[in-house]
Amino acid sequence: MRRRVSLLTVSFLMATAMLSACTSNSGQPPPTSGPAPGNAQQQEVPAKAVRNAELIVALEAEATSLDPWNSTDSNTLHILSTMFEGLLTLDENGEVVPILATDYKLSADATSLTFHLRKGIFFHDGSPFDAEVVKKNLDYVRNKENGMARASFFGFIKEVTVVDPYTITVTANEPNSAMVAYMAHPSASFKSLKELQKKIDDPKYNLDRNPVGTGPYQFLEWKNGQFVKVVAFDGYWDKEKPAKLAAILFKPVTEASTRVNMLKVGEVDIVTSLPTLDARTIGKDANLDVYSGPSLNMIYVGMNTKLDKYKDKRVRQAMNYAINKEQLISQVADGYGTAADSPLSPLVKGYAKQQGYPYNVDKAKQLLTEAGYPDGFAATLWTRNSTEFVAIAENIKMQLQAVGIKVEVQAYESGTIFERLDAGEGTDLYIGRWGTGTAEADWGMRPNFASDRIPPNYNNSGYYQNQQVDQLLNEALKATDNSMAQKKYIEAQKVIMDEAPWIFLYVPDVVIAKRKNVLDVGVTLDTVRLQAAYKQ
Amino acid sequence: MSRYIFGRILGMIPILVIISILSFLFVHLTPGDPIRIMYGAEMDMATYEKVKANLGFHDPLYVQYGRYLQQILSGDFGVSYKTKTNVSDEIGKRFLYTLGLTFAAMFWALIIGLVVGIYSAARRKSIWDRIGIISTTTIISIPEFWFGLMLMQMFAVQLGWFPTSGSGTFAHLLLPSITLGFGVSAIIARFTRSSVLEVLQEDFVRTAKAKGQRESVIIWTHVLRNALIPVITMTGLQFGFLLGGAVVVEQVFAWPGLGSYLIDSVLARDYPAMQALILLFSVQFLIVNLLVDISYSLVNPQIRYE
Repeated sequence: MRRRVSLLTVSFLMATAMLSACTSNSGQPPPTSGPAPGNAQQQEVPAKAVRNAELIVALEAEATSLDPWNSTDSNTLHILSTMFEGLLTLDENGEVVPILATDYKLSADATSLTFHLRKGIFFHDGSPFDAEVVKKNLDYVRNKENGMARASFFGFIKEVTVVDPYTITVTANEPNSAMVAYMAHPSASFKSLKELQKKIDDPKYNLDRNPVGTGPYQFLEWKNGQFVKVVAFDGYWDKEKPAKLAAILFKPVTEASTRVNMLKVGEVDIVTSLPTLDARTIGKDANLDVYSGPSLNMIYVGMNTKLDKYKDKRVRQAMNYAINKEQLISQVADGYGTAADSPLSPLVKGYAKQQGYPYNVDKAKQLLTEAGYPDGFAATLWTRNSTEFVAIAENIKMQLQAVGIKVEVQAYESGTIFERLDAGEGTDLYIGRWGTGTAEADWGMRPNFASDRIPPNYNNSGYYQNQQVDQLLNEALKATDNSMAQKKYIEAQKVIMDEAPWIFLYVPDVVIAKRKNVLDVGVTLDTVRLQAAYKQ
Repeated sequence: MSRYIFGRILGMIPILVIISILSFLFVHLTPGDPIRIMYGAEMDMATYEKVKANLGFHDPLYVQYGRYLQQILSGDFGVSYKTKTNVSDEIGKRFLYTLGLTFAAMFWALIIGLVVGIYSAARRKSIWDRIGIISTTTIISIPEFWFGLMLMQMFAVQLGWFPTSGSGTFAHLLLPSITLGFGVSAIIARFTRSSVLEVLQEDFVRTAKAKGQRESVIIWTHVLRNALIPVITMTGLQFGFLLGGAVVVEQVFAWPGLGSYLIDSVLARDYPAMQALILLFSVQFLIVNLLVDISYSLVNPQIRYE
């Protein structure tokens, strides 16, 4: 009994110590992030390090599917990127570079994209990669009958034509300068025709569990709730960049504190989605590295522009002025974020810094008075019930109160909030997070602000409609030269920023941590890339 | 006895039918659209409708229920929306993990609970009794979540004696089972204490004492046999609860059991998995209850069921 009592005492003391360690720094800017792992200097890999080790990665959730066409969550992409490759990819700077293609060319009218494919590439099952494979893959995913999660993503494609065994042309329904970025998205990855044929022959065949790509690692095992294991693929085409690890094990660990503890004791080598609260303490550990940098995400408060109170632009602008973004970032994200100065994250191609809304309560009050709301109004704010989102909501509530807007926070589990927004009934204010997966401006703005993207099942849940924005987005997509497209995107951002259909909050940082002996880990636009990683 | 058991099992059938209807309705009426959750924010209506049709959501609820009932009667719980694998297989794999965790937790709970409970009762009003009461009250009110993290911090991170989480070896089982067992041990301790105290007041104990028997002999041979009946009920109930998903502990220790499966399924609105788990937990409860009743007669043969 005495031992139990003393155990409790010790536990209490430790909890107190941990809490004080965690909170003592909040409010200060985060420590400077280490060098982006992807930019780490290329060191010569020691001979004995080659394929000597197993890397263990803790993910915040289990993969949803190992089929690149059937998963839309970024968590799964970390795993997929070790096994699958597309014709194009994005490098560390977000620039499009060819991988399975040797080169590509967008037609002058931006309606077709022609690829020359690399020869001598084989899938993990030994089948060859060629134009036929690309065509069959793209035809399958965009066929709505097949019900793939990424069907709409490839909806821009009108036709895929095999020119010769190693040349293929993708034709778009209408001029679309963004299709290069779409084809560089991790979803545009290719799987072996043998596998695809199995699915075509037997609709019950589970492609989600049988990933066969061309990447440096091949699938070994998926034990539900425990791990996904990939192992080095000996037949990888790029002899200069072979897998340097024997295997990589991805473990789902939902509890953030557990992920952090696992990293501390060395049970895992890399933790993705590190809680910002832990980033500081981990950064001080001599054996660990923290990497943080901007993500493709945008955190915002959407407003239902169909409601009278938000119809007036001045009200929407006032609400933007009323929020001190810096304070919000420091209080809810421990400083790991950047105040929004555009509807897009700075990482998105086409982003241009706009005149934002500096914190100005007087200006906010003045605008509200001009709009006929000198005493503010009552509002309901929907949020997901995760700690982070509830903290944001409470902060917004507090800040809006200062200008007379009385907010009632209602927290729902994420599935519920989606359904409520889709139904479009009773929507007032809601906190949203949008990730521009393609890292280009069209996908950053169209789903959120285009008139034809209002619910159900689309993301313009505030029913924002503006012909000028629609026109600019369409013109940008049709623009054949880059600078013209860029001009239109800048204009669109300017209009959206001025129109303020959202309260633009901040771009959260990607925060990952790894053990120091793990090298050449890349973070390309939110996805942790492990193709080149090795352990010392 | 066998007639009694047979009767009880027959009696379970209508209960199970009601549970299957209720669980089906609850799951389908839960807010949140599984298709939207699976497919994200940007999906077109054509794909949505296609998937909806494939999942049979276009049919009225009673038709869907009929199909579901037909399916489970043939022993098939369907295919998970999220993992696209067979729900029965998945439950089969995870059940062993939860069962292992539950047994280990009950092992700690019974050892600690019975020893503390009996000792406190035997030394009633002594300092040890008071300490027992205070500490069990404290333990009951400690959140499992916090307690688990503290154990992990101490024994895995600081001392490095055990792995922080996961499964595979006996060492992996220790911290989660202690976390889970501790709370139950307190409940069992308190129950045992009051039950033993009650029996100690009985006439036959006084008779035994008058005969000059030693107290320890009285407690072990006479008192416990009677005092353990309510404790068994309590233990059975607790066992049922634990088996029904040690949700929090499985989350904290990344234990791949049914509790974490339930959480994942609910978050994904994975209807087939949710329905199967609810039904399974109900069946477990019914079976545990039956076993508890049968065990009464084993502990005290004077209790007989006809």
